[in-house]
This record gives sequence, structure tokens and C-alpha cells, in this order.
Amino acid sequence: MKRIAALLVKDLAELRQSPGIFIPALLTGGAAILYPFVIAVIIPYFAGERLSDSSDVEIAELFYRTEPSIRGLNPEAAIQAFIFQQTLALLVGLTTVTGGMSVAAHSVIGEKQARTLEPLLATPLRTGELLAAKVIGAALPGVALTTACFAVYLALVGIFAEPAVWKALLTIRSLALVFLIGPLAALLGLQLAVCASSRVNDPRSAQQLGAIIIIIPVGVLQVAQFAAGVVLTAPILLAVGVALTVGNLLVLRAAIALFDRETILVRWK
Amino acid sequence: MLTASHLTRRFDARVAVDDLSFELPAGEIFALLGPNGAGKTTTLRMLAGLIAPSAGTVHVAGELMSIDASHLRGRIGFLTEAPGLWDRLTVYDNLMTYARLQGVTAERQAVRTALDLFGIADRAHDRAAQLSKGLKQRVALARTLIHNPPVVLLDEPTAGLDPESAHETRALILRLRSEQRTVVISTHNLDEVDRVADRVAVLRTRLIAVGTPAALRARLFGTRLTISLAAPAAQYERTVQAAGGRHLRIEGHTISLALDGDAAATPRIVRALVEAGADVLSVVPDEPTLEEVYLRLVREEPR
Repeated sequence: MKRIAALLVKDLAELRQSPGIFIPALLTGGAAILYPFVIAVIIPYFAGERLSDSSDVEIAELFYRTEPSIRGLNPEAAIQAFIFQQTLALLVGLTTVTGGMSVAAHSVIGEKQARTLEPLLATPLRTGELLAAKVIGAALPGVALTTACFAVYLALVGIFAEPAVWKALLTIRSLALVFLIGPLAALLGLQLAVCASSRVNDPRSAQQLGAIIIIIPVGVLQVAQFAAGVVLTAPILLAVGVALTVGNLLVLRAAIALFDRETILVRWK
Repeated sequence: MLTASHLTRRFDARVAVDDLSFELPAGEIFALLGPNGAGKTTTLRMLAGLIAPSAGTVHVAGELMSIDASHLRGRIGFLTEAPGLWDRLTVYDNLMTYARLQGVTAERQAVRTALDLFGIADRAHDRAAQLSKGLKQRVALARTLIHNPPVVLLDEPTAGLDPESAHETRALILRLRSEQRTVVISTHNLDEVDRVADRVAVLRTRLIAVGTPAALRARLFGTRLTISLAAPAAQYERTVQAAGGRHLRIEGHTISLALDGDAAATPRIVRALVEAGADVLSVVPDEPTLEEVYLRLVREEPR
């Protein structure tokens, strides 16, 4: 544990020296925050129509009837709450993973390219400890960034959306999404990226893999949420949480097995 | 303290190290010499437990070294060919991270001691990227020794250093011997080996020769003398040969000759020269340089 902490402190200290690495994640977070406001607030405002006037809100109405936290809201506020709730997964999914992906992608290959990996591997540091430090070091900034984005999101909803919509977002479901599912998903994605970083010769390869890890599941989820009316209810989130935990454990074991100190030292030039 | 037994490493069909054996006690400085690709770095990596031998074993203080023996890596300090510092971190943070990774107790004290010992305390809060090559190497050495390892492996410790930094590094290596640490150096710097090594192993994938620098010289070149005379030396050629001198090289007023292991030959030859009327100005043991020894060993070895 002490060795994980030592490497983690080192990695975070290095990240503090390179704040530019988080610009893509900040832009992604900003876009993910803006996107639901465009749908729920900006377009209706400029179109001069209310969302509740539209006939295409059956899903929202269904949600309005089933979700306890928004039962007290008027129809317009309920639809806004529905949109802000559904797009929260996009914000969490994209920002958490993007925040750490470039860090994770550079984690092992970056040490190799800087010629710092060999002295590191010559210490008593175990493979599991090295990978754990690298994954946590990549995940922490992403989780912190997502938390900050969520706070901004809530504040903007409080300012620009219908009154009390922000309260409807402060549910156990939302908090679980931000503070449990998001970090677990990030850990899984970043573990895969660190794994890739220990198997490729170029961090860009690991980043490309990371992009696939992010874009496909989040895209599928958004389509499912808006086209098929999938709502991330508490049981679904619980199931996803369990699946992600198991997935993380399996990937960690696989990553340790796949991490070949010899190959990294001897093959990579 | 450190034992390599029939150490062999293959990379696919290529043999990098072939059947290398040696045993090093505490307090010995052992140099690995060899041309590029001779297997020096591969040998150090096997000794450090970074890569596994294809055959053979490494024991550190009686314990079998392996890739999984993480606790044994803590008994070794490995200076890699590149300093390998984290450029964005300060010197202090670089050393502190390694002190923690090595499980040093009283890590702050250990870092302060290392900073003082290596004369880098005034640069402790500079980023590693700001240091000169010599200073980086000094920090890397401090990192290598921060946990007081009994076995120290140094890969090209003075490569690229200016003469003063190289001198300081050699002084440090000699200090390691006085602290009873076992030191293995891989280097191309023959002068350095001559100055610091107790024994030398000449490698070209397999061990060509091992011994003290003096023993290797004697083995390859025998004991040679250079005798300077007041008169031209050619006229005394037969006198010297009759007194036991071999393989004579005569140039002007000097005769260089081999004694073929006959230690008593020196006074006999000098006496014979004096009796023959020669005025002997000086008699100097003619030591080949380690470079000559090395080149002969490597050139005689079939590739």
C-alpha cells in the first residue's frame, strides 16, 4: 500500500506540472454540460415553444409518472428534469474517462519513453502495485473533474431551468451515477488503457483504444435512453455497479497476468 | 554475496549471455568488460531480477533471485544506463519517491543524508530537467543507494561525464568497497576498470577471461621489462637472450623483453649486461595497458 501511495503521489505531482493534459477533458465536460441545456432550455427559448407543448414527450411523461423525485413538478419542469437526468450519464461517462484517459494511455509507455521505467521496475514494486497506482492516478483527476462538472451542472440547472428541477437531480440515483458508477466505469476503462499502455509502443495506440472504450458504450446508452426510453433506475444502476466491480476485478487480474516486465524492457526501444 | 551460476539468456534464437558463472564476496568491485552486444546489460538485468535467465541461477545473499522476488530487489541498487529521473519533479521528490518505494524507514532523513552525501543539497528543489548530465548522474547514484543496498549494479556509471564528475563517481565507487558492498560495473572505460576493479570479466556473450587486471596482464603478456642503456642496444641482444630474456624488441638504446614467468631473470639479465660492459640507465617493468589486454582477448576470441 505504501508503494502504491508513493507512486501515486509521484504521478499526481507530475500531473500538477502538466495541467494542459486536462484541456480535452474540460472541453468534453463543457460540451456535455451544454448539450442538455441546448435541448431543454435554449432551443425552446428561441423557438418560443414550451417542451410540454410538444406531442413527442411520451417518454418524459412516463418518467414523470414513475419517478418519485419529480412528481411534484409541473410538466415543463418534469420534462426538463427528465432531459437533465438522462444526459447526466453522458456527462459522467465522458468526463470521468476522458479526464484520465490521456494519463492512463501514457502511464506505462510514458515511463518507458522517459527511460524511467527500468529503475522503477528495479525496486520492490510489484506488478499489481504498479498497475493499481497508474489506474488510480489516472482515475482521480477524472473523478475530481466530474464532481466539479456535476456541481457546475447543478448550479446552471438551478439558474436556467424551471424552479426545483435541480432538486429533482439530487437523488440517490444521480449521486450513485456520479460517485459510484462513474468511478467504477472509469476504473474499468482506464485499466484497459493502462493495460494497452503496457502492451503497445506508442501512447497514441492506447488512446485510440481508450476512445473506443468511451464512445461506443456511452453512445449506445444515449441512444437507448432517448430512442428506446431506457431509464437508469436504481435496480439497473445496482446491476451495472455489480457488473463493473466484477469487470474491474477480472481486468485487474488479466492486466497483472499480461504485464510482462521482460518484454517491456527488452522489446521496447 | 552475489553468485551467478551458469547464467544463460536467449532471445529467440540469439544467445545474449552464455553460461556465465562468478561468485562475488562482500566488498568486491567486479567489472564486466565487453564490446557492444556482449551481454553486459543483459547480465546486469538478470542479476537485478528484471529479466529471467533462460538457464542458470542468481543468488543474492544465498537467496534465489527471480522476477517475482520483489523483496530481493530491495537488496540491490541498480543504476541503469540512463539516469531515468522524473524530469518534472524536483531532485528531492525524485529521491523521496524512491525512498518510499524501497520501504526506507525515516525516509526524510535518508533523503537529506543522500543529498548531503552526493553534494546535491543545494539543488534539492530544482527540477531534474534543469540539471546537467553530471548532476543527473549524481542524483541517479543517490537514488541507487538511498536504501543502503548491499549489492550495487552500475551500468556505465561514468558514460558521458566530464573528467571531474567521472573522478567523483569513481571515488564514490571506491567508497562502496570500503563499506563492504558488492559492486558490479558494466563499462567500456578501461582506465576506470583499472583504477577501481578488483576483478575483471571480459565478456563476449560468454566469459572470455576473468581475473584481477594484473593477472590478466601476466596471463596474456607475461612479465616484461624495458631496459635503457647508454649505448645502442642491438650489440647486447645475444647477452640478454643468453641470460633468459625472450621476445626481444630493440629500439635505439632500449631493449624490451619478456621474462616468461622467470622472476629471477631480472637480476641475472642486468648482471650479464653489466659484465658485458653495458651502462644500464634504467630497468622498468613494462606493463601493457588494460586496453591492450582487452583488445587481445576480444580479438583472439572467435565471434
